[in-house]
Amino acid sequence: MRVVPGLALCALAFLAAEGARADTLSDVLERGMLRCAVIEASPGFSSIDANGRRYGFDIDNCRTVAAAVLGDADAIEYVPINPNTAFTTLQSGGVDVFPGGATWTFLRDTSLGLDYTGPYLYAGQGFVVRRASGVSRIADLEGATICVAQGTTNEQNLADYFRARRMKYSIVTFADVERGLNAYLADRCDAFTTEVFSLAGRIVALRNPDEHRILGEVISKEPFSGLVRQGDPRWRDIVFWAFNSRVAAEEFGLTMSNVEDMRATTEDAEIRRFLGVEGGFGQQLGLRNDWAFQIVAQVGNYGEVFARHFEPLGLERGLNALWRDGGLMIAMPYR
Amino acid sequence: MRKNSAFWLQCLLALALVTLVFLVFRTTQSNLELLGVQSGFDFLWKKAGFSISQHLIPYTEDSPIWAALAVAILNTLLLAVFCVLLASLLGLLVGIGRLSSNWLVSRLSLAYLELFRNIPVLLQIFFWYYVALRALPSLESSIFITDYLVLNNRGLYFPFIEFANGFSISPPVMGRFAYEGGFYLMPEFLALWIGLSLYNGSYISEIVRSGFQSVARGQWEAGAALGLKPVTVLRRVAFPQALRAILPPLTTVYMNMFKATSLAAAIAYPEIVSVFVGTVNNLAGRPVEVMAVTLAFYAGVSFLVAWLMGRWNKRVTLRGQ
Repeated sequence: MRVVPGLALCALAFLAAEGARADTLSDVLERGMLRCAVIEASPGFSSIDANGRRYGFDIDNCRTVAAAVLGDADAIEYVPINPNTAFTTLQSGGVDVFPGGATWTFLRDTSLGLDYTGPYLYAGQGFVVRRASGVSRIADLEGATICVAQGTTNEQNLADYFRARRMKYSIVTFADVERGLNAYLADRCDAFTTEVFSLAGRIVALRNPDEHRILGEVISKEPFSGLVRQGDPRWRDIVFWAFNSRVAAEEFGLTMSNVEDMRATTEDAEIRRFLGVEGGFGQQLGLRNDWAFQIVAQVGNYGEVFARHFEPLGLERGLNALWRDGGLMIAMPYR
Repeated sequence: MRKNSAFWLQCLLALALVTLVFLVFRTTQSNLELLGVQSGFDFLWKKAGFSISQHLIPYTEDSPIWAALAVAILNTLLLAVFCVLLASLLGLLVGIGRLSSNWLVSRLSLAYLELFRNIPVLLQIFFWYYVALRALPSLESSIFITDYLVLNNRGLYFPFIEFANGFSISPPVMGRFAYEGGFYLMPEFLALWIGLSLYNGSYISEIVRSGFQSVARGQWEAGAALGLKPVTVLRRVAFPQALRAILPPLTTVYMNMFKATSLAAAIAYPEIVSVFVGTVNNLAGRPVEVMAVTLAFYAGVSFLVAWLMGRWNKRVTLRGQ
């Protein structure tokens, strides 16, 4: 009897031993490929098109890091994971980075042995209901059955919100969003709750999106951040500044189409440092000096990436607009 | 001399095993520390903070995580017990049906066996859940099996004893979104119960059939010659003897069935894998501890089942055989 948990521990110990090495940058450069964790089949974030190519907001996050580190946004080995295994896979060294919609929370940051690299998308937990049900506000959901997916903070947010308002509800907890939404569509539940960005993507993709309604309110803040293993500060810096560069590019007015010309002509010292014309900023990170240029040229600025994946779903910038437009996106300065 | 060396070999092996387990434990611990991952079982006493729809003991979001674990374990055991009962009943009926001289009964039994034994049980569960769920009516057009037994796509509702104000029986009453009051079996539970029972019942039917066929033909004939009714021969003569051949393989089926309740995690029934390995692991971030507790639970219950069935088997074994 003692052997069974022993073997499981053994397997974990080996995985953990693998993860204890702490020079991710050298590993990635040596491999020539970035190992990026993605959650599959999440419209807007991560899908596969008719030609078998991955696309989506999460995918472009992977491509951003690959462009900065390897100069090639497509030098990526995608590792499909589900929300339940995401943290363990990252802890054990199976992937280099996980930019797939993990909410930055206190307990995760302090207990998982992982480091957050900075918010790249501000979302919130919302609800979808059937129009026919007549529900128009969350308060109407008193006594309702609600489907939810595990592996996120959704279950806790739901419990906190309903409990604080003394509202009765019944919960059906699924292993992933796909199954939870399917059960809602089969009328197992009166509402389905998850983060609004992925919810909108999935509802738009339905055969009859007009029969459903996404409620206007959200019950939580969900600041999504990239995740890397703890104990490798240089790698964390690289991922942070890679994401920062997309926002900076939007502030600078750099786009995929004009970045080449701007590099040749600009007189602005900060943009010149940003694009690697002067200053040698790439070397400071252990990268090539054109690292940020590659991000903008191959992936685009933050606004372009957002528009590419979320505008077709009818989602607005909202909190994710630049700070000067009333949003929360602000780039740390390049000096 | 040979006996002696065998003893030392055993000792060495045991020592090596203990050392290995110890080393693995230490390495894991130090690696987790190195990674900055917290470890320990203290998380069991923290507030759970999430809700579980089916709980046989009082549980709220404010309960500690160990209470959520207890709820999940009871849900697992409830499902396992229901499955054992229904599968055994099905297996017994179909097993005897296979031996029936009635052509229709034996063919129907064979059809059941071949159909349910040859389809993976996970697919059967998905079938009962997704197909049957869509076939069930919505709240407004619920099926009333009796006045107080209501079936719709939210589950099977029935009256239940209420302890709130003394002692009363509360029938299910229609609310805005669902029936309230009484007790209900969730569709997830029903799908698992039906799926696991039909699948394992097919195996049990074969065990029952082979058990009865192992009883010497003379025994049946002797019973008939004494003027006993066929049913009495079956119950009093054949069954006790068949039981000897049935019990050992039946133990295996029961244990498999118990472990297969973990498939519940695929369709949102709140048993231990779903609640503990899923939700709690995600909240607490202690994969090693969570897995250790879960493995210990499955191993412990399987061991208990094997032990109990072993004792029962010993009681029915023929003396001197």
